Amino acid sequence: MNDDDHETPDQKRTGYSGAALATESQPHSIFSPSRIWALTMHTFTQMVRMRVFYFLLFFSAGIILVAFMFLRFTPEQELKLLKDVSLGAMSLFAGIFAIAGTALLIPKDLEDRTLYTILCKPVPRFEYLLGKLLGMLVLIFVSMLFMDALFCTVVGVRQKILEKEVAVAYDQELAKYPEREQNESWKEQREEALSAITENGLRWDLQAAVWAIFLKASVMTAVTLLVSTFATTTLFTIISSIAVFIIGHGQHLGRSYFLSGAPDGGLERALAGALAVIFPDFHLYDIVDAVVSGETIATTLLLQMSGMTCLYLLIYTAAASFVFSNKEL
Amino acid sequence: MEVDWQDWRDGRKDVTIEVCEQIPVTHCASTVTNDIKMNDTPDAPAVEIEHLTKLFRIPSLRKQTVLAVNDLSLTVGRGEVYGLIGPNGSGKSTTMKVLLGLLHATSGKCSIFGRDSSQVDSRKDVGFLPENPYFYKHLTASETLEFYGRVCGLTKAERRDQNARLLKLVDLEHAKDRRLAGYSKGMLQRIGLAQALVQNPRLVVLDEPTAGVDPSGSRQIRDLILELKEQGISIILSSHLLEQVQEVCDRVGIIYKGDLVREGRLEDLISIEDQTEIILKNASAALLEKVRALAMGESTEVISIGRPRTTLERLFLEETQ
Ligand SMILES: Nc1ncnc2c1ncn2[C@@H]1O[C@H](COP(=O)(O)OP(=O)(O)OP(=O)(O)O)[C@@H](O)[C@H]1O
Ligand SMILES: [Mg+2]
Repeated sequence: MNDDDHETPDQKRTGYSGAALATESQPHSIFSPSRIWALTMHTFTQMVRMRVFYFLLFFSAGIILVAFMFLRFTPEQELKLLKDVSLGAMSLFAGIFAIAGTALLIPKDLEDRTLYTILCKPVPRFEYLLGKLLGMLVLIFVSMLFMDALFCTVVGVRQKILEKEVAVAYDQELAKYPEREQNESWKEQREEALSAITENGLRWDLQAAVWAIFLKASVMTAVTLLVSTFATTTLFTIISSIAVFIIGHGQHLGRSYFLSGAPDGGLERALAGALAVIFPDFHLYDIVDAVVSGETIATTLLLQMSGMTCLYLLIYTAAASFVFSNKEL
Repeated sequence: MEVDWQDWRDGRKDVTIEVCEQIPVTHCASTVTNDIKMNDTPDAPAVEIEHLTKLFRIPSLRKQTVLAVNDLSLTVGRGEVYGLIGPNGSGKSTTMKVLLGLLHATSGKCSIFGRDSSQVDSRKDVGFLPENPYFYKHLTASETLEFYGRVCGLTKAERRDQNARLLKLVDLEHAKDRRLAGYSKGMLQRIGLAQALVQNPRLVVLDEPTAGVDPSGSRQIRDLILELKEQGISIILSSHLLEQVQEVCDRVGIIYKGDLVREGRLEDLISIEDQTEIILKNASAALLEKVRALAMGESTEVISIGRPRTTLERLFLEETQ
């Protein structure tokens, strides 16, 4: 030891590391958005580098195939089919990302001991979970943005083509029978045919359906994250989350069954209540069919959906951080 | 003292008799005002473990438990290097994980610089290298340090500086843009060490830092530990390489089946109380005879008189059998 007696270890250390780090003098903050953001972007990068976006190629190939291969229907049917298949595929992909992707996160960190290296830094456990959740949400959001853009382009292009085809057909008819220029009902028929296409084509309500799909996937992400905090295997997490997904779709039926069967039965009421508390009610998000058949979606419904989603995320994430903060790693 | 002995082993000829008590670094640490750490107790030791017991419940039909750590108490002073040794499954890693708040103590408590280790802020000044570390394989070495720096709340400029400095320190500059998936065991261990140092911690916890590392890499890690010690960083490490523990540690604890069976300053532990060693220079056979008779001759230069050492290895085997 060749140093002066009155030099503290701290001072010596500072000498070795150049300047003292800014964090050293700051008291530790219990909640740090920048830390959460670092974890979020890390999770996102991790998923991206796991090549999850390659799955989107299947989606793209699928809807392009549907859009331009099956041309045996009426224009409206064709557009409906396209929307139905595309939204269904989006729902499927978002669901797969939400369940399979999220289920992998914590077990992988545990197995690789990367969890240790993060949690032994001054990172509260709920921030770690929040980072994982937000990372997955960003991932799902970005992939839905991509799918949505492709979907709208395909629907738009298909709509334009169909409109042109119909217009050309009517024009040809007019060329053959010029007297129809004066026929009011013929003109009406032509207008109707064209507006049917417009109605079933690109409309803002499609975005409402996409938003609903995203919200549903967010809830599934939170559910899966919760399950993965206490599950011991990834397979268990995936299967349980799929079960929750299915129950979530049927829970309004179950609830009405329990409630209608015996209006004053305490047990039934309790069961219905428990069902509603534990499982998310995905019936709320069922607007895809309405959108496909061209109905308009009320803004209040969207707000209600978004609000419920926030509530679900809050509840499931709170439960997850409760379980996780007591977990032995 | 340690140094003299070391030099003697390395074959240096003329060594002085100086046998002075080395002043432990811990003593200077507490005498000086602590100006940059605000919310910690100025005199608190780096690590204080009091009566720690850890019982693992094994999920099975019969309520089985494993006693991993049993009523263990130890203290690591500031600037001290503490070695935790013991056979496989004796509870070294468990002790470290409880210390870092990764596991909950069944009873007892741990604190780091006076702050309870169940609190998140106790981890502000700690770097940890887990045993057999694997990091995110999808990140490169630079990105790894960047990530851990962000998580520790370093500013952008600090992260850049630390990144460059630490990569240099662990000698990974040439591989900084390669993903860790392609790293060898020794390289992973080194990036693990860099990661542990990212926020300039005052305490570093190393669980088998040289496991699976080749002799020269292992030597590099040893040198690095000595360098950290020079900087006054407290270190607690576990290892199966007793020779290395003997080289770097100020104090050692031997843990066996969860119990701390021996603990103390390394010199005290490995000196044999009832023997004296005399080392002579240029002694003839006749002289040796005389010395043997007289125990000391006038024309002989006494190079060293002190307690001969056993090796830590021998002590380890004695205590854990
Ligand atoms: N999560 C766990 N569940 C059940 N038992 C555990 C768990 N972790 C550790 N143990 C048990 O606790 C004891 C101590 O384990 P620990 O990992 O601390 O040993 P160690 O001293 O680090 O050993 P090694 O030198 O092999 O790394 C062992 O008997 C081990 O089986
Ligand atoms: Mg171990």
